[in-house]
Amino acid sequence: MQECKQIIEFASGNEMASMAIKQIGYDLMGYYPITPSTQIAENLDLMKAEGNLDLIMIAAEGEHSAAGICYGAAVGGGRVINATSANGLLYALEQFPVQSGTRFPMVMNVACRTVSGPLSIKGDHSDIMYMLNVGWPILFAHSAQQVYDFNIVALKLAETVRLPVVVAYDGFFTSHQKRRCMRFEHDEDVRNFIGEKHEPYPFLDLEHPITIGSYMNEPDLINNRYQLHLAMEEAKNVLPKMFDEYGTLCGRSYKWCEGYCHEDAETLLVLLGSSFDTATVAVDRLRKQGRKVGVLTLGALRPFPEEELAEILRYASHILIADRQDSYGGVGGNFSMEIRAVMQKYGCAGKVKSLVYGLGGKDFYVEDAITMFDMAEEESPDNLFYYGVEKGNSQQAELEKQQFFAPLSAEKTRILQQSNQVTGGQINQTTAMPKRLAPGHGACPGCGIPVNINMLLRAIEDPVVLLFQTGCGMIVTTPYPKTSFKVPYLHNLFQNGAATLSGLAEICYRKQEKGELPRGDIVFIMVSGDGGMDIGMGSALSTAMRGHRLLMFEYDNGGYMNTGYQFSYSTPKGAVSATSHVGRCQFGKRYFHKDMPQLMAAANIPYVATVAESNPVDFIKKAAKAADYAKKEGCAYVKAISACPLNWNDAPDKERKVIEAAVDCCYFPLYEVERGITTLSYDPHKSGKKIPVLDWLSMMGRTKHLKNNEYNAVVESLQEEVDRRFQCLLAKSENPYL
Amino acid sequence: MEKKVVLPITDENGYYQIRLESIGGLGANLCGKMLGELGIKYLGLNSASFSSYGSEKTGTPVKGFIRYSSADLDIKLHSPIKTPHLLVIFHDALLSDTSVLKGCGSDTDIIVNTVNGKDRQELLELEDYHCVYFLDAQKIAIETKSRINVVMLGAIAKVMGFVELEDLNAICKDTLGRKYPASLSQNMEGIRRGYEEVDIAFESDRSKSPKGNKNEEESIWGYETAPIGGINPCFGNSVVNDLSPSRQGYFPIFIPEKCINCGLCDTTCPDMVFQFQKGEFKGREMMLNKGLDYYHCKGCLRCVTVCPVQALVRGVEAEHPHKKYFMPNQELLRNPDNYEKAGYDGYITSEAFLTEQRIKGGEV
Repeated sequence: MQECKQIIEFASGNEMASMAIKQIGYDLMGYYPITPSTQIAENLDLMKAEGNLDLIMIAAEGEHSAAGICYGAAVGGGRVINATSANGLLYALEQFPVQSGTRFPMVMNVACRTVSGPLSIKGDHSDIMYMLNVGWPILFAHSAQQVYDFNIVALKLAETVRLPVVVAYDGFFTSHQKRRCMRFEHDEDVRNFIGEKHEPYPFLDLEHPITIGSYMNEPDLINNRYQLHLAMEEAKNVLPKMFDEYGTLCGRSYKWCEGYCHEDAETLLVLLGSSFDTATVAVDRLRKQGRKVGVLTLGALRPFPEEELAEILRYASHILIADRQDSYGGVGGNFSMEIRAVMQKYGCAGKVKSLVYGLGGKDFYVEDAITMFDMAEEESPDNLFYYGVEKGNSQQAELEKQQFFAPLSAEKTRILQQSNQVTGGQINQTTAMPKRLAPGHGACPGCGIPVNINMLLRAIEDPVVLLFQTGCGMIVTTPYPKTSFKVPYLHNLFQNGAATLSGLAEICYRKQEKGELPRGDIVFIMVSGDGGMDIGMGSALSTAMRGHRLLMFEYDNGGYMNTGYQFSYSTPKGAVSATSHVGRCQFGKRYFHKDMPQLMAAANIPYVATVAESNPVDFIKKAAKAADYAKKEGCAYVKAISACPLNWNDAPDKERKVIEAAVDCCYFPLYEVERGITTLSYDPHKSGKKIPVLDWLSMMGRTKHLKNNEYNAVVESLQEEVDRRFQCLLAKSENPYL
Repeated sequence: MEKKVVLPITDENGYYQIRLESIGGLGANLCGKMLGELGIKYLGLNSASFSSYGSEKTGTPVKGFIRYSSADLDIKLHSPIKTPHLLVIFHDALLSDTSVLKGCGSDTDIIVNTVNGKDRQELLELEDYHCVYFLDAQKIAIETKSRINVVMLGAIAKVMGFVELEDLNAICKDTLGRKYPASLSQNMEGIRRGYEEVDIAFESDRSKSPKGNKNEEESIWGYETAPIGGINPCFGNSVVNDLSPSRQGYFPIFIPEKCINCGLCDTTCPDMVFQFQKGEFKGREMMLNKGLDYYHCKGCLRCVTVCPVQALVRGVEAEHPHKKYFMPNQELLRNPDNYEKAGYDGYITSEAFLTEQRIKGGEV
């Protein structure tokens, strides 16, 4: 084989992954957006919109389902790709052994990121180490170039040993930083290298039906697992050969273990990912001073390159293993433990130390690497060391703890000094309600989230406890060490807010019953948005059906805004987003917006309502009502349409008008379902304000393109759907049994 | 036409380093990307670029980092740039926090986007740096119907001294031209004017004197002082953030004589700016609008649109140095020792969509 023609790209790791995926020619991508891996799907969607890519892309409602979609497609014989990070990876975790245990190849990119909580989106290796035991080979790329190359090698490896393969790399450091990279000019060169896909057991061959996923007891299971072990052993054999073969095509030769100045090094620093490159700069500096230092990293975590590693490690007298994650309570991070095990197995005599560094994306400078070399050579006991932690300043911390506000006692929020429900028409009166949210949050100018939260809470005179699911609302209000909440506040991840709040509420009620907490009304409120009712719908519906006394409030901004606006299930059809681009072959989002209030109504909870800031009196009344139901009867659900000037791409000061148009065109009808009885709160037909849905769409940059005649069919279908849904509501409002 | 630019100055690793200091929304991210691509495609250099990403602490402005090296050198560092050769400040409000100047010294060239006529000496100590340049990029962007980032790009190229206008035009065509041919000539005009109008205010010889202070500040919250579990007991302490840098030149002006105290402004304000107190209006006891907490007003002007009686109107902030009816949050038990200047969170975890919006000239 001879070298194939290549061209230069200035690209990030995510971009190079997308390029490889495009060139390989996958059949299907099942995914769910999560930072920092999301760009892969975004880039691919853009290629697709422009007609440069033939790939089925399915945005699941969560990573667990995304893994399921991928599994099904792999079983069907498709070439399948996924990309994820951090908690997304963990959410899907149970699916990974299913895929490897039943031996269906695919490739998944993991842009490594720290696992919550406290929630952080930055890079470390705490996610990828959860993958060590699931039976997937794990290639680890430390540069954007390697992300590309490893993606190509990964699929060939996967199909050769019939195992799914991970390509991992550092979130942000590798995924987002742009570098000079090379790629093959012609897709055929990539495809020729990978070769045809062979299916030993074609599932869709109806002449030869097969069963996949038997129920298996002893004595069989251990044999199945041994087969998996053997496949991993085979991967050990074929991977170096594949790297060599690939090297002849591109001129870049890869080794399982990559070292720099390691051959004669007396002191070795071993680390994973992008830090390797930074450490090589430190090595250059120290070598100039005559110090025999070197640095080492691995190109794969599974299978683990024990022999190659031992070969390098046996000559060093001091070895420091730096982990970007910890196996808390173990003898270091997982990387560290495995390297120590290899050293023991092969009788390497060097002195070893382990440290944990760079968690949550804490930057790694050349100076840090130099310090680590010093530490490696120091006479000190082999205790696990956390590098870069700080004690803090206790004197100043005490000062910081002085509160700025008095706690919001129940008396302070009983502004009307009257019964539980605000009766309406009293906006002026509600300005007396102390805000539960302090100013100084980081939401964009004109953001609808704080507007809606304040509108909801100004109607509730009882003490409130808030739980936010992940989303913009949560991120902009609680960047440590600041918080905008003046009331008890809890965050839990995107898919689990409702369940968490139900547990919290029940404990409160129990404590009150036992007399451990004073009796008094507390309204428990779960706040969700940014598509939280996609991944969190199961939890929310089930919580609703269990009948807990709590209020679920959804600010629906129609997209995953906290991760840079990928479409959510409630994004309007036709809207452009980072995963529904407009192009020659695509008009924006393909399907209609989700009707969450009706889903909640079908759970037969006592109160469901939709609200909009353009109708403040109605909003306040419904909020008060919902709180009352949540206190006394059961679950209440309130949904507001919430403006996002950044991603709706309209002017911040016009948002209330845009919301009003959404209501007037019946895209977002205002109504309530009280104990099963539907009442329309506002009928734009009757007040002569009904407008076509296109009038609303034209107000936002994300849907403005739909004005063009070529999108008439899209607009018509949306108009029809909106009208149909409104007619349904109308019928329901006229008949108590509907 | 293969060019091979020789970098005028590099650090010990062989890199020429640029740091962009910006507020989410001014397009520094795209500017950095274009600079990086420029190096590889048109200057015969190697380059790397990236931004500070994601949900930084509220108000942490956006930073961009670009490293150039000769083409034969690999750029191995992934860490942010502490000691830049060129510091570019996309908005002079950022200078109210001196940490943007961290690591800059007599080796550093600085470009500041500021309105013409502002007291430049008041913004920073010119003599501490190698050269300091000023530019009214906002004005040029408005006049040319381009964006601040392309105007700054022109200025950056001029100041670096090794980039010609034609190279900038080429990269502008590559990045913006293919998808948005309509706005290409406007953007190129913005670049040209940035290139030509950037104005040197101070110049000194390069000397070997040490760079600025590199020491990191000691953090207050560490493993001994922070409550376990990331718990935050200081409720509502985001109030110490001063969000006025989020404003883009405009702010709401209050005309109390017209106010009917309907409270609609309070329902539309995302930032809890309006301060209502009990009082009497037209003989009725009710809540009265007493003023605005401008520390927290981000200038979205929602209130101006919503006000039914024009008691709130849009004003140009520069024309109102002393804000009338400025009323800090009335629920505060104590005033913060100092309000910390901050912007809103610049979300750039995902580039694709925002980049497009910026190119289209959307309100990003």
